[in-house]
Amino acid sequence: MTFSLILEQAFNGLQAGVTLFLVAAGLTLILGIMDFVFLAHGAQVMIGAYAATAISLATGSFYLGILGAIPVTFVCGYLLEFLIIRHLYRRDHMDQVLATFGLILFFNEMIRIGFGPAALFSDLPTSLSGFVEILPDVPYPTYRLAVIVVGLLLAIGIHLFVSRTKLGAMVRAGASNPDMTAALGINISILFRFIFATGACLAGIAGMALAPITAVQPGMGEPLLILSLVVIIIGGIGSVRGAFIAAILVGLVDTLGRVFLPAMLRLVMDQSAADGAGPALASMLVYILMAVVLVFRPTGLFPVKG
Amino acid sequence: MTSPVLELRGLNKSFGALRATHDVSLAVMPGQLHALIGPNGAGKTTLIQQIYGAMPPDSGSILLNGRDITALKPAARVRAGIGRSFQISNVLMDFTVLENGIIAEQARQRAAFTFLQPAFTDPSLIAGAKIILDRVGLLARANQRVANLSHGERRMLELALAMAASPSLLLLDEPMAGAGPEDSRRMTEIIGALHKDVAILLIEHDMDAVFTLADHITVLVEGAVIAAGTATEISANDDVKTAYLGGDPQ
Amino acid sequence: MTHPARKPTLIRLFIDSVMAHRLLWALLGLFALFPIVTIIFDQPFWNDIAMRIMVLGMAAMGLNLALGYGGMVSFGHAAFIGIGAYSVGICDYYGLTNGWAHFAISMAVCAGLGLVIGILSLRTSGIYFIMITLAFAQMLFFLFVSLETFGGDDGMSIDRADFLMIDLYEPLRLYFLIWLVLVIVASFLMFIVHSRFGVTLRGIKSNEQRIEAMGLTPLHYKITAYVISAVICGIAGTLFANWQEYVSPDIMHWTRSGELMIIIILGGLGTVAGPLLGAIVFLLLEEFLPELLHLFAPAYAENWMIIFGPLLVVVVLFGRGGISGLITTYMPKKSDQQVRHD
Repeated sequence: MTFSLILEQAFNGLQAGVTLFLVAAGLTLILGIMDFVFLAHGAQVMIGAYAATAISLATGSFYLGILGAIPVTFVCGYLLEFLIIRHLYRRDHMDQVLATFGLILFFNEMIRIGFGPAALFSDLPTSLSGFVEILPDVPYPTYRLAVIVVGLLLAIGIHLFVSRTKLGAMVRAGASNPDMTAALGINISILFRFIFATGACLAGIAGMALAPITAVQPGMGEPLLILSLVVIIIGGIGSVRGAFIAAILVGLVDTLGRVFLPAMLRLVMDQSAADGAGPALASMLVYILMAVVLVFRPTGLFPVKG
Repeated sequence: MTSPVLELRGLNKSFGALRATHDVSLAVMPGQLHALIGPNGAGKTTLIQQIYGAMPPDSGSILLNGRDITALKPAARVRAGIGRSFQISNVLMDFTVLENGIIAEQARQRAAFTFLQPAFTDPSLIAGAKIILDRVGLLARANQRVANLSHGERRMLELALAMAASPSLLLLDEPMAGAGPEDSRRMTEIIGALHKDVAILLIEHDMDAVFTLADHITVLVEGAVIAAGTATEISANDDVKTAYLGGDPQ
Repeated sequence: MTHPARKPTLIRLFIDSVMAHRLLWALLGLFALFPIVTIIFDQPFWNDIAMRIMVLGMAAMGLNLALGYGGMVSFGHAAFIGIGAYSVGICDYYGLTNGWAHFAISMAVCAGLGLVIGILSLRTSGIYFIMITLAFAQMLFFLFVSLETFGGDDGMSIDRADFLMIDLYEPLRLYFLIWLVLVIVASFLMFIVHSRFGVTLRGIKSNEQRIEAMGLTPLHYKITAYVISAVICGIAGTLFANWQEYVSPDIMHWTRSGELMIIIILGGLGTVAGPLLGAIVFLLLEEFLPELLHLFAPAYAENWMIIFGPLLVVVVLFGRGGISGLITTYMPKKSDQQVRHD
């Protein structure tokens, strides 16, 4: 257990955290402001990953892939809200669950038809495929570092937007009191559409960022969806700040836990027990964390609704 | 000296800088109809929420029949003898009027946790439910789905359900809200008849009803009691006139 | 002239309940007679489909108590099915092959876990509740994936249990065991939804504030309903494991919970028979939609989900009450006291 290993894994956890944040940021607003159970958010991640990969394969440029995929995901989110989602705001949660569940099935199947069930080949861009020494003698993949940097920049951007702009103020108002916001004459439908499309775009960016380092395949978004739900529960529905802090926390706990928990268990119990319990406990770690938060703070660490 | 049914002692509640309840004390005596009036934003609903147990006060105590209930949850307070009607009808829309009464009756009997015997055909529950409905004259509409009732009838049902467990104190939160003149008149009659058996704390904006019914009036302005007394005393009170300038259009 | 205040006998109650749930008992009767059909057409594998439908329908009926009647949109019930199934597997692993023991353990664990998860989750409501039940279910999924001893990701094979002298490998023995348990569960639910508890539960779904204002504590009712529904799902899982002779973590993946919900809404939300009807429709669709696609678009036969997904969206947007709602709309209605409850 060397220091460089810990540092490397901590950075991995940070990288997992920022991508998780990008997925959770949009979703927490959709859940909090529109009170809409949007299960198909994972599909947005998948759409982003596939769009970026397809464009970069066609053009030969990773960056063109990103550039092209961003408007694609925004438009997808926009259309989805306009055509289907907005008809479901007034429905009860069960209906929303089922409809968005149907959307997941549809999107996964569409991707399967269009690109086949096997994972798509997506490679690191050559400009980012090396290593960087974050500390002397501690190399770290350049690409992952870039993901962290971009993710943090986006987080700062979102924070500034939400706290400094007029549109951002409307979003915050909508998060803490949707009815009052509507009563104040703010065009709620446009606001919702914008939030939805932006959330989709952010999720898509997470997908694009992950494409070179994970498997780009149908259904790739669902595990991220579940984890981001855990993040939102811990952070508090409707709170972007909560989503950020919880995402970093979850990213770190999950990554570091998986790597070090089995080893730590071996210190207190015998080899075979530790090897049996280790992975099991590690995979449940973030959920245990969530349960603990729930016991003390049923509405999350940074609840928004007054 | 009879002891009060409900006694509030120095209740305080603040939301940040806003003092919603400022050192409020009042007493509702047995058989008394005690009206709580005040302009909008005076903190009447906040006060009712604290009496009902939906909101804890920052300080002060609430006594029901001499027993300190400040720490009790709403369901426990109801079992202790409080009945509540809500400003917006909280009736069970997916059932018939009689079924509403049956559900209330089995709650009253403290026997709602059985799994075998059907509830809606149980003769003892039906009998009890009919008594509940008859108090407000809704017996004729027993088999009507609540969703099909008029607004006034729903307010009546709301009142009946509040009375179901024969409480010692009725909290009526704007029972005439949204009711037309005919319904208001009927409601006034029924409340007037009810209050022989039960102490009532009434929040209302309808001044006709208040001055007809109330034995005692407490005036709340900006969270604090500015006046308390009989209807005659209150209508002559200058502070009240200033605070309530123009009265309430109803 | 009715006798005042004399409690009706259990037999009388049962008969009255059956009359009020004609669709339910028609379906149960159909399942009892179905093996005759499979014998006539000599298609024993049809029994397999029927058994799957009965088990899935049972689980959906369990969830429906919490969801359709109690208003609790729980996304975690597949976990309880999984626990019921793994009870058989794990007991087998340690040499405990007695079927009664399997049921007892499955029910006990599901009750305990249901209580804990229920208490934790019911501190919240609305979207929170949905998400939390989903998260807990995934936690259990990952737990079983990581338990290498019991097969982990690959799952474990199972021998059918020993039930006194009944050999479950004999044809139709398992079929009628499943059928019998289904009848018991259905009867139980049939009584519950009309009982004082059931009526209060439905009242809580209708307006929780009012039930509280009647002096009752809604949480007690919700937790009880949640635990009962968890136990029923566990029973279904135990039977499923016996049928499939295999169990893997996939059985408790969160999408399985979604399937249960689809089944409930296909069949009709707040009825006892609905989930069973929904299970029939769902599994028949799953069997025959690919066949249909083979006829019209052979290249896409594998992708029948592409129809199912939008179908679901359409059903949600435009359909209300599901299929059993459709049936009861077109049946003649009796007087108010004899309203159909199917």
